[in-house]
Amino acid sequence: MTLYPAVTGRADGGRLLFAIITALGLAVIYAPTLYLLLASLNPGEQLGLVAPSQFSLTWYAALLDDRRLFAALEESVLVGLATAALATPIGLSAALAYRAMTRMRSIFFLLVLSAMFVPGTIEGLGISVILRLARVSPSWVTVTIGHLLWTLPFAIIVSLIGLSAVAPSTVAAARDLGAGALRAFIDVTLPLMRGSLVSSFVFAFLLSLNEHSRAYFLAGRQNTLPLYMFGAMNSGASPTIYAFSGVVLVVSFAALGLIFLGAARPQDGLPGVGLAGVRGPQAHET
Amino acid sequence: MPDQVAGRRRRAAFFLALPSLVIFLGIGLVPLALIAVWSFWSFDPDTYWIKPAWSLASYAALLKSGREAVFLQTAGLAAVTATASTLLAVPAATAISLLSGPRRATLLVALFTIPFFTSGLVRAFAWRLVLGREGIINNVLVSLGIVNTPIEWLLFSDFAVVLGLVAAHLPLAIIPIVLVFARIEHSAIRASQDLGAGFWTMFSSIVLPLIMPGIVAGFLFVFVVAIGTSMEVQLLGGAGASSISIMINDVMRVVNFPLAFAIATVVVALLIAVIIVAYRMLRLSPMFEDRGP
Repeated sequence: MTLYPAVTGRADGGRLLFAIITALGLAVIYAPTLYLLLASLNPGEQLGLVAPSQFSLTWYAALLDDRRLFAALEESVLVGLATAALATPIGLSAALAYRAMTRMRSIFFLLVLSAMFVPGTIEGLGISVILRLARVSPSWVTVTIGHLLWTLPFAIIVSLIGLSAVAPSTVAAARDLGAGALRAFIDVTLPLMRGSLVSSFVFAFLLSLNEHSRAYFLAGRQNTLPLYMFGAMNSGASPTIYAFSGVVLVVSFAALGLIFLGAARPQDGLPGVGLAGVRGPQAHET
Repeated sequence: MPDQVAGRRRRAAFFLALPSLVIFLGIGLVPLALIAVWSFWSFDPDTYWIKPAWSLASYAALLKSGREAVFLQTAGLAAVTATASTLLAVPAATAISLLSGPRRATLLVALFTIPFFTSGLVRAFAWRLVLGREGIINNVLVSLGIVNTPIEWLLFSDFAVVLGLVAAHLPLAIIPIVLVFARIEHSAIRASQDLGAGFWTMFSSIVLPLIMPGIVAGFLFVFVVAIGTSMEVQLLGGAGASSISIMINDVMRVVNFPLAFAIATVVVALLIAVIIVAYRMLRLSPMFEDRGP
């Protein structure tokens, strides 16, 4: 095992190697997207980068004339808002239930996990068949139903992590001071979870906004944004595709950036995103 | 008295869980169960739907016309993707959890998590610009004289699909490891260093065994999600490339319901087996539980 002696320099070698691999991982994730954003500012028909002085919003301006794009966007925003508005409270409720569960816990957790990991195509197929039997015709409502199943596990996990940052002693103190369970929940737990609930809503909205394989089976006559984009990407790319890809990216990154910035405020003890909060038993000690 | 409290607690848990149960069971599990049953029915040309004539025809059709090859191809792609993601994820999660201060760790977790919630479609599509004949990689390689003509296999190939899938699913491999790291007693690591262990000894004999559950969980997460892929294969794969999900879409386009149901049933059965085994092996749920007062 002792391939290397305990020398600081060697340890730093490990540090450097791991830093390089981490940077490589980030590059694989971000480089193509950044390149697409920059290429979308090229006013020419030919793809590729131009000097920053030649950057232009030509193709973004061209988007404003694309009626079908706006119709798809409208449909997706409607579905996304409806999905998030449902997933957030249902997710919180499920997270509270999970904490109160004893023997059913592992079964419930399996249920959440499986909803997360069944392929979207198969979930979409299953829901479309059920709706066909119930004679529900496809519309934004059916897409919302599919997206609820897709986003709910994320909403539950975000709420669970948010709940775990609420120290039980705080709630116990409220109860000792005479608050009922409901009062303690409304006055103590809920305010402490505000960040998580906002994260839950935004995550559900974005997951829905970008979901493709379930919507493929569930959308009615009006396409959602990813369905429209997928069609456009596969049929002779006009440079406007890069522009609306750019818009989708900028909006998503901006919303998430705000959430993460909000969550990183120290007084919140990082509950907002939770995944960031996993580092902090410190949060409980305050 | 305690019985009463426990009863009230159970009732509260039930009512709080009810809305999510309706969704998970009603639109998640029930359709899958129906699909499994209907995969043994037959197509009815009169109604363009299915009729309750029991048959194994669709399972026999699964083994015909190269469909089993698509299964193997998808599983192979998913395995390569999961392996590559894990190889990147272990050092990245270690860099986040052991080698960074709290601020940088939070930033890195955010950077790795954020793209997961952005458009997978756009991110897969972006690889076309990078990898294509006229893409930036080929342009740079040609202008530097490293190659004479653009490399063809960069785009519309399994290579491109795996790259797209890794970029899409890397967070799924990293997060479980970071979650497991949060539960490791740092004193064990410090003790090994006090006893004179170098970085690699400490890493291989203390850290790796402790984070192994997270590594396996991350590998499985990526594998399972990559099994369901269609977008990356359609946008980045070669001419003959297919995947299980694409096959289901194709079969549905010719309204062969029983065959689509049979494919879906086989996939779901395999995935459920994987999830149950992983769950038993790894006890995943404690990752999301609180750690005392």
